[in-house]
Amino acid sequence: MDNNVLKVNNLKTYFYTRHGTARAVNGIDFEVKHGECLCLVGESGCGKTVTALSILRLVESPPGKIVDGEVLYNNLDLTKCRIKRLRQIRGKDIAMVFQEAQSALNPVLTISDQIIEQIMLHLPLNKKEAHSRACGLLEEMGIPSVERVMNVYPHQLSGGMKQRALIAMGLSCNPQILIADEPTTAVDVTIKAQILDIFRDLKRKRQMSLLFITHDLAVVSEIGDRAVVLYGGKDVETAPVSEIIDNPKHPYTVGLIGCIPDISQTTGRLASIPGTIPSPLELPPGCPFHPRCSRVMDICRHQEPSYISISHTHKVSCFLYQ
Amino acid sequence: MTKRTRIPGKEISKPVYINTRLVNYYWQRTSRNKLAVFGLVFILFLILLALIGPSFTADPTLVDFDEKNMPPVGFTNIKSAYHIDTNEFTTTEIRGTGKHPLGTDGKGRDMLSMLVSGAMVSLQVGLIATGIALIIGTILGVLSAYAGGWVDNILMRFTDIMMTFPFFLLLVLIVFIFGPSLAFIVLAIGLTGWTGTARLVRSEALSLRTREFVTAAKALGATDKRVIFHHLIPNVMSLIIVIATMSIPGVILAEAALSFIGLGDPTVPSWGIILEAGQHSLDTAWWIAVEPGIMLFLTVLAFNFLGDGLRDAFDPRSSV
Repeated sequence: MDNNVLKVNNLKTYFYTRHGTARAVNGIDFEVKHGECLCLVGESGCGKTVTALSILRLVESPPGKIVDGEVLYNNLDLTKCRIKRLRQIRGKDIAMVFQEAQSALNPVLTISDQIIEQIMLHLPLNKKEAHSRACGLLEEMGIPSVERVMNVYPHQLSGGMKQRALIAMGLSCNPQILIADEPTTAVDVTIKAQILDIFRDLKRKRQMSLLFITHDLAVVSEIGDRAVVLYGGKDVETAPVSEIIDNPKHPYTVGLIGCIPDISQTTGRLASIPGTIPSPLELPPGCPFHPRCSRVMDICRHQEPSYISISHTHKVSCFLYQ
Repeated sequence: MTKRTRIPGKEISKPVYINTRLVNYYWQRTSRNKLAVFGLVFILFLILLALIGPSFTADPTLVDFDEKNMPPVGFTNIKSAYHIDTNEFTTTEIRGTGKHPLGTDGKGRDMLSMLVSGAMVSLQVGLIATGIALIIGTILGVLSAYAGGWVDNILMRFTDIMMTFPFFLLLVLIVFIFGPSLAFIVLAIGLTGWTGTARLVRSEALSLRTREFVTAAKALGATDKRVIFHHLIPNVMSLIIVIATMSIPGVILAEAALSFIGLGDPTVPSWGIILEAGQHSLDTAWWIAVEPGIMLFLTVLAFNFLGDGLRDAFDPRSSV
């Protein structure tokens, strides 16, 4: 049975800059199933955020352009549908929560202004109903003294509160899919735990699909059902989270997991993957990871690896397994 | 002792205009600039004068040739008269009286009443013309920044062209074509004075446009119109308030200057019109030109001082 709510096929988003063409997203495939949490994992600059923005066609154009591929939501291609239809989908069916709550909230409008605006845009409610719905959402987010928080400006709230208000905004119209772009990166550990709890609750209670973007494998193991590892604008490994953590196949995934600092071991240097992520302006030929790969072979330098299935849930694109 | 700067605290939860603490905060910052306080007080005085003054002063259009060219209280004037029947030339000294504390003009009209009704005219000209200019400038500036690309290019080149027109000659031309009606003059000033605002607002909006809350609003389904009017314009409001206080005096002066060269609306007693009438009798009745001149001078100065003070108060980087 096909229970995919979102399917991304061979998505390519390029930026045409004066220094050349930056291939930020260079052929990504994944699908989000109903009620699951899919994590997009990767280092800074691997195309995570651009992928998320491309799904809702929010990439600044120019210079950005979705050059190829499709984003299927209920068999509707979001990259090609009319902008009017897309606006109805944004926020109502697919909502997005941004990384930095401070900059994602309008500084001159109160929290209630912003949530109520959002609700009334998509739902046939009057101002009073929208207000009570907003209060309910904030309560659900675990915000104390909701009435007070409703009437303040973003700068008067703490980081965690802002992030919760932002999540409440994203959830205000009961979307099927919530895209969360590093929602835990800008907050400290205790808040991070609380916010992850909120997401876990949401998934359970609302049967909502989550597309969770993060660079933090600890977060992935906390919340994810499946994970897609991105490198150089491509997906290099897709598997259930437990498989990714316990049995990584791609040398890059292996390296990433090796980099997680262990709190019980204090000796020695932290592990790292040598080199840096390639510039999207000049991706290396062949496998994008080959210049940093410890197990590089000749073929990696010339030919792009294709996706192969190791099991029916675990796919990897690496010549080691072909 | 250094004064403590209070940053708006957590309990603030109301918009600025009813939020006493935030108002206090900006007032504290503005009021350290004594000149700005003077400006504010003078403008308030002027508004009060324009609103309730006319009900206390005499009719400014009342002509009385027996009392023409009366000096202000405390000054004297030599009045010479030629008597045709006795063939004599007499000079009498007249003193200012309490009936006309600021004297009268060459037609015997009370200067005080004329200045009071002129205040209303000047304020109206300043506010309406600036309002028109700000609305056009803000919308064009935000639109230009938000749309970008060829829209931005066309709008900004149009602004450049508007800027190269000699503003004052354009006004003269409009008066020449449509006649000296105050409504046309105000409209003309408003329709030509938006260029600076458009540029300033555009540059501010350009940086706002790339902020994440704009993308976030779009991600939640906001239309372009909504982003512009709900998210961008409220964020440029403080800039607009400062531009407004800075451009009102320019507009008042432009109207006065037009009147001074004889292109003002002769049916409306603006300060410029009084000034123009007084310039011909500077040697016999200096106060007719000097009094509206002083009022213009103080008004322009007051708006400029207030604008300066507000700009510093709204700028979080200034150390006021």
